[in-house]
Amino acid sequence: MADAPTPIMFAIVTTNKEAVIGGMAPVFVAPNEVERDRIAMWLCRITNAIAHDLHNGTVILTVNQSQP
Amino acid sequence: MSGSTPPINWDPMIIGFVAGFLSRILYLRSGKSHYPGYPSGYISQVALAIIAALIGSSIIVSLLGKEFTAATFLTLAATQFRDVRTTERQTLEKEESLILVGRGAGYIEGIAITYEARNFLAMLVALASSLVAEWNDIAGIIAALVFIIVGEKFMSGPRIGQLIDVKPADLRFEKGTLLYVGPVMMMEVGLPDSRERYRSQGLGVILTPKNPRGEAALWNISQRQAIAHEAAVAVGVQKDVGYPEQGTLCRMDMPKGTGSAGLTIIPVERDIDKLIRAIEQTPVLESGKWSRMVNTKNRKEDAHG
Repeated sequence: MADAPTPIMFAIVTTNKEAVIGGMAPVFVAPNEVERDRIAMWLCRITNAIAHDLHNGTVILTVNQSQP
Repeated sequence: MSGSTPPINWDPMIIGFVAGFLSRILYLRSGKSHYPGYPSGYISQVALAIIAALIGSSIIVSLLGKEFTAATFLTLAATQFRDVRTTERQTLEKEESLILVGRGAGYIEGIAITYEARNFLAMLVALASSLVAEWNDIAGIIAALVFIIVGEKFMSGPRIGQLIDVKPADLRFEKGTLLYVGPVMMMEVGLPDSRERYRSQGLGVILTPKNPRGEAALWNISQRQAIAHEAAVAVGVQKDVGYPEQGTLCRMDMPKGTGSAGLTIIPVERDIDKLIRAIEQTPVLESGKWSRMVNTKNRKEDAHG
């Protein structure tokens, strides 16, 4: 881990499709919050990402560039 | 060696050598927590200590023996010690990607500079002691002891515990996902699973600066990374590749900017006293050792009182 991490957006998991419009990261749409958290956790564990809840039904996943 | 010169007085050289070697070995003890791979690390440091002490102690003797070529060669050998810093830095930087809570570039540079400086200090102690011992053996031994003590005092920098108060604090989540340690907001934890782990197993401490130097040290991000590293080394951290959000974090009380910081950790050994001791023993980094800062936000309250 470097002194100052530089996160880049890796994926977006949302239950609210209208809140997200395209971009560099893939968007995973989940039917409910339980399913959303399950997808987010799987993606986190697989890709070494960090999940952040935006409190509008959307969870974003970021990856720190400097991490191995 | 040649017949024309008087017989060499070995005492100054022996006293100087022992003093230089002792000073280096004594510092190795205080630096042990930073050093990777104890046995092999020790061997190379002891070997360097012998060489450094030998160079320092033999310069005066060779100069007095009118062996100027030897003296010149010894100064040449002394320049080799510049590589110590590079070697040390490279070792630690390679290791950085293999440990889960890194030391940070500032800490690595600090350790590397310290190792280099200590070799040169061993050389200087040897040189100074042999110079005094050339005049009188007993005075040389006394001077050697004084030099070793002064060197130890001078070289061992302040510890975080001298500048910063470390107190345990409770971990909690606000607005569902924001992790707080006492008043300090640490980060946003998106996964319910990770939040549960922080709630059930996490430990938190609050770092509050005691004085202007502590204030400056804490605002240094490298310093906080060093604190996080020492904390993780002491109590362990339940983290693996794929669990980046469960690592050790040391962050300032940021939107408020009060100058205090929080630290969260999910330890392997749940021992808050050990954690606090480890944080207090963290060396203050070379880069921020002498800078001072007074947080005007805190000073305003003092002015009223």
